Amino acid sequence: MENPKIILFTCNWDAYSGLEAAGRVHRAYPPGVRPIRVPCLGRLHPGIILKAFAQGASGVMMMGCAPEECHYDFGSRKAETAFSQAKALMRLLGFKDSQLTLEYIRAGDGASLVEKISHFVDGLNGNRPSP
Amino acid sequence: MTHLKDAIRRNSVGFCLECGKCSAVCPITRWETKGFASPRRFVETALSGQFDALVESPLFWSCLTCKRCSELCPSDVRFSEFIRDVRKVAYADGASGPCTHGDVIHTWARIMADPDRGQNRLEWLTGDLSTSGDSDTVFFVGCVPHYGVLFKDLGFEGIDIALSGIRILNHLGISPQVLADERCCGHDQLWEGDRETFMALARLNVERLKKTGARKIVTACPECARTLAVDYPRYVGPLGMEVLHISQVLAKGFAEGRLTVAGRTADRRVVYHDPCRLGRHLGVYEDPRTVIDALGYTRVEMPHSRNTALCCGTSCWTACGQVNKQIQVERLREASSTGAELLVTACLKCQIHFRCAQQDSLLRKEIDIPIQDITTLAAQRLIAAPRAGGQNQDNHASRPGTQ
Repeated sequence: MENPKIILFTCNWDAYSGLEAAGRVHRAYPPGVRPIRVPCLGRLHPGIILKAFAQGASGVMMMGCAPEECHYDFGSRKAETAFSQAKALMRLLGFKDSQLTLEYIRAGDGASLVEKISHFVDGLNGNRPSP
Repeated sequence: MTHLKDAIRRNSVGFCLECGKCSAVCPITRWETKGFASPRRFVETALSGQFDALVESPLFWSCLTCKRCSELCPSDVRFSEFIRDVRKVAYADGASGPCTHGDVIHTWARIMADPDRGQNRLEWLTGDLSTSGDSDTVFFVGCVPHYGVLFKDLGFEGIDIALSGIRILNHLGISPQVLADERCCGHDQLWEGDRETFMALARLNVERLKKTGARKIVTACPECARTLAVDYPRYVGPLGMEVLHISQVLAKGFAEGRLTVAGRTADRRVVYHDPCRLGRHLGVYEDPRTVIDALGYTRVEMPHSRNTALCCGTSCWTACGQVNKQIQVERLREASSTGAELLVTACLKCQIHFRCAQQDSLLRKEIDIPIQDITTLAAQRLIAAPRAGGQNQDNHASRPGTQ
């Protein structure tokens, strides 16, 4: 699949600093990836994740701080709940497991962020785009 | 404006006598504090042609379309249908109600409206259940599996309701068809004004259901029952199939002696809550009560029951807030005051909404009555243990000729 649309939700803290770090050293990631910064990944609800698919995304990545690093303490745990609910709903709706992922990024770790994006996009290949 | 006039004409709104009986019973009027949210006043605004004021009315998105007002209206104004028709116009103009649950429920319905979407909705079917590909009965599951995922934390029974429904049909000797590519019935979209999504879902479902060759559809969800029985024929065309809620099937089974409960020892007081879609919308009041009695329970009634029953407080997953909570708490208080040990309802949404209200730790002691769906209650009492020799069958496997 060429340039699938991928929504990348990053939290405002560790994950976004990773994205900025990748930019500083000019590390490229696939052009179909559209980052959306949210204050905390715990702010996401399965509804927002499904809406991305309903509006044509082929994949959704959630990137945030590791649970012990979360700036709001409970945000990562909430994100995990939203992730598992969205995953179960997507399964019922006929999406593939590879179309949604939750990743933790260490602050400023641009290299691993780009690697995770590339890995995700590779995994998406062969999936049909959402309507 | 033409749309508004059409909606007024179609629903006999012009015959309003302004008697205000509707406002006396409307649960929203009673609790809404943002303004005077009365159906009578809403009608008055509509008749004076103020469409914008209508959309801004506190009743516009919060009306539960529970038909409580229509029960009393001396002029037979179809207020709930009027609200539905005006919402359609507003929705087409880009307005929409305050969404709840992150809009996830409406979103999955929109995803299902894609004709090419291949779903994976039958993984929950267990090996002891018998289904077939050529039965003349279809069990319409609806969105129960999805609600089960979303409301697990509330203690919602979820997929047990669908499993129990099929188990009951098996007990009656029916191996129903269960469709892997069934869609959401579109009830919420229809009542919230999203006619486009509703039509897409309805057409897909009607086409699929007709292809089954079945003569009967059984569902455990009153909203699916209403939509399939009343709205699909109206908007898409006749289905040519009888649509029944599981409580009607159970009541018939007991009446014909095909269902019996061994050892009537369930000496528990239970109270039944009438869901608006099953009661006032479809007129099914007695069947669930007959079932509860036949199952051997002592049934008690709330002061507001049958056609005067209070709504569970929210509809269409839209505009839920303090007002809705008050309605739910009021209903749960009413149920608790009967001294019943169990609140039985026939609608999964009623159960979800009541369980949500019960999360309030300050009110917990007052309203903490256990809640169960009539489908799971009946399955438990009828089938104490899974039947021996149950076959592991999927949608296409068959045990033909059981009907």
